[in-house]
Amino acid sequence: MNFDFTEAEMQFFNNLQQMLRQFGEGRNPETRDLDGVRRNTRDALAVLSTSGYLNLGLDHAGMNSGGTLQLMAAMEIVAAFSQSLFLSIEMSTHLFGRILFAWGQGDPIARALLSLKQGKLLGAVALSEKTLNVENDPMDTRGVLKGDHVSIDGSKQYVVNGPIADWIAVVGKFHDSHAIFLVKNGTRGLEKHERIQTLGYEGAAICPMRFDDCRIPADQVIIPPDGEDVLAMLRLWENQILVGACLGMMTSSFEAAKAYAHAHQSGGKPIVAYQEVAFKLAEMLTLDQTSRLLAYRAAWMSDVNPAEAPSLTLCAKVFCAESAERVAGQALQILAGHGYQLGNKAESAFRCAKYAQIAGTSTEIARVKIGDEALGYV
Amino acid sequence: MDFALSREQLMFKKEVVNFAKKEIVPRVREYDLKEAFDFESFRKLGEFGILGLHFPEKYGGEGADVVTTVVAGEALGEAGVDGGLTLSYGAHSFLCADTILCHATEAQKQKYLPKLATGEMIGCMGLSEPDAGSDVASLKTTAERVGDHYVLNGTKMWITNGPIADVAVIYAKTQPELQHAGISAFIVEKGTQGFSAGPPLIKMGVRSSQTSELVFNDCEIPLKNLLGKEGEGFLMAMQTVEWDRSALLSPFIGSAAFLLKKCAGYAKGRVQFGRPIGQFQAIKHKLADIRIFGEAARALIYRVAWCKDQGRSLNHLEASVAKLFIGEWSLSPTNDAVALHGGYGFTHEFDVERIFRDSRLAPIGGGTSEIQKKIISKLM
Repeated sequence: MNFDFTEAEMQFFNNLQQMLRQFGEGRNPETRDLDGVRRNTRDALAVLSTSGYLNLGLDHAGMNSGGTLQLMAAMEIVAAFSQSLFLSIEMSTHLFGRILFAWGQGDPIARALLSLKQGKLLGAVALSEKTLNVENDPMDTRGVLKGDHVSIDGSKQYVVNGPIADWIAVVGKFHDSHAIFLVKNGTRGLEKHERIQTLGYEGAAICPMRFDDCRIPADQVIIPPDGEDVLAMLRLWENQILVGACLGMMTSSFEAAKAYAHAHQSGGKPIVAYQEVAFKLAEMLTLDQTSRLLAYRAAWMSDVNPAEAPSLTLCAKVFCAESAERVAGQALQILAGHGYQLGNKAESAFRCAKYAQIAGTSTEIARVKIGDEALGYV
Repeated sequence: MDFALSREQLMFKKEVVNFAKKEIVPRVREYDLKEAFDFESFRKLGEFGILGLHFPEKYGGEGADVVTTVVAGEALGEAGVDGGLTLSYGAHSFLCADTILCHATEAQKQKYLPKLATGEMIGCMGLSEPDAGSDVASLKTTAERVGDHYVLNGTKMWITNGPIADVAVIYAKTQPELQHAGISAFIVEKGTQGFSAGPPLIKMGVRSSQTSELVFNDCEIPLKNLLGKEGEGFLMAMQTVEWDRSALLSPFIGSAAFLLKKCAGYAKGRVQFGRPIGQFQAIKHKLADIRIFGEAARALIYRVAWCKDQGRSLNHLEASVAKLFIGEWSLSPTNDAVALHGGYGFTHEFDVERIFRDSRLAPIGGGTSEIQKKIISKLM
């Protein structure tokens, strides 16, 4: 048992933090403007490619066997910097990227993975369909072999990075098994719908898309090995990303509230001197620390005992997502009028926190799955 | 960072669970209902090596580290040992015996620790008073040095093991004007003239532990019964806090696993509307919340224990975070467990009712949740 990161890991985290601080100077990472979103994401990937961050979890020579624990701690840093940039980067690097890394074979995919790690390629994953929920309903999107090409038909909703991605990993059925179709931006038959406006993550580009006889070369179809539960794996990776997002939200909104509570005076003393404020901060810190340790343990479990990881990750996701909303809400309350104005970490986290409860495995489905396991129903 | 227990620790945990299920759990309900201390179980804890687990071998212990001690506490909870017995064990081994282990003279250690390790002697610790709970500086009990002895006067309150203890570690003011710095710690033996314990208090939960006031009325104790030096008492009390917020809390992690198993078993067997209630999503939701609580609490408690094993200075922030979380967040899962059992959960026949009552002490004992928030907000 050891609750410390190594010196090398701490150095890596510090460098990452410093790099992002410099990157953020004179920049609005939460801009809604699509050109701004595109520029921010590309620039961030270029900067992060020099840090080693983009290799985490995608490199057998990582800091430990799987690198998931280090990735979780690093994700928290990026998410605390900007929720929107974090989502864009992670859906590309550690969702799209993990698909290539775990299941991809052949030269085109190896080249794409290399470009991704060099920060030159932006990916997206198209998973959810009209039911929003792939747990209970079969997937409609299908690929059919036509000569040396595969033709894809179907619709996807809420594709993060959809409007700006170079490659899209489309999850669907192929010969009655789950497969992933790698579609290059601009491929005929790929129709991107209008970018959607969201409650949070306004600096991320999200859109629905449709595939109408969208043809890709057969070597751009990824077929995971037999026995691999593709959807479960994708949900696990997505859930890990959302847990990382929650840690970042809690850190940034807690720090904002704490700083304000020490600086803002009322009745001749800083408001932190009042128990109504100080005790809120104490509860926020407790949730923050508890969430972090649970998230780290779930990430560590991914590396040392993958069979136990999905259910522990669901526990972490439910707890972290609900804690993030509570911490952000308390931070907003402490920041009062300042918190209610757009453009501060607490209000941004408050809006983004809801996404973590909905996306990936929703908290409701997560609880059902955790309950099923306790009952021996799975 | 590595969250794994060693192979030996995992094996030890299994052994403790098996031992407790066989030797202790069968009597838990009886002693809870009659509000009596189970001397036999306590002695068995001693025989198994749990009471002196972290003492050096020369004092009859096993020389275990703090993490292993937490493993034992978790295992007791997981087996279904009640909060009363684990509280008595905690007060005995950590609040009393550990203070003697850390601060007593060699002669005192030789005199008390082997007997505390076997359970031949039962220990308690007296800090709180009727008017001084969390506010330690306002202790009123005094210890006046008169010739070759100290004279203790005052009353201690909420003392776990008070009515049954053979030896007590008592905090009293030797220099009242110095507030915290004027507090000293003493060993007081049962039977000392002027020292008496009140009758056991009737409590909502942890009923198999005996709690009472301790009264000191011109109680004379020899100078050699001073622990450490005069004025060091407050620091000693603070050192026990780490135990209070790691090993003493560890049964809660195990208890969550026990609750989950009990609730899942009930939900699978209880049929309503033609199917087991476990098939309803609302029931799964409650089971999930019980599991999530246990998983969330685990690393917090082990972190405090691990830090203590590393010899790090008092990690009050982490300790208070662990205590606040257990205190505030343990109530909902135990409440859910009762609700899941319906009317049965409201009866003494089912373990969940006892665990629900026992858990209500968590935000009160060992420093209330409000005090933890105060500590955290000062240190953050």
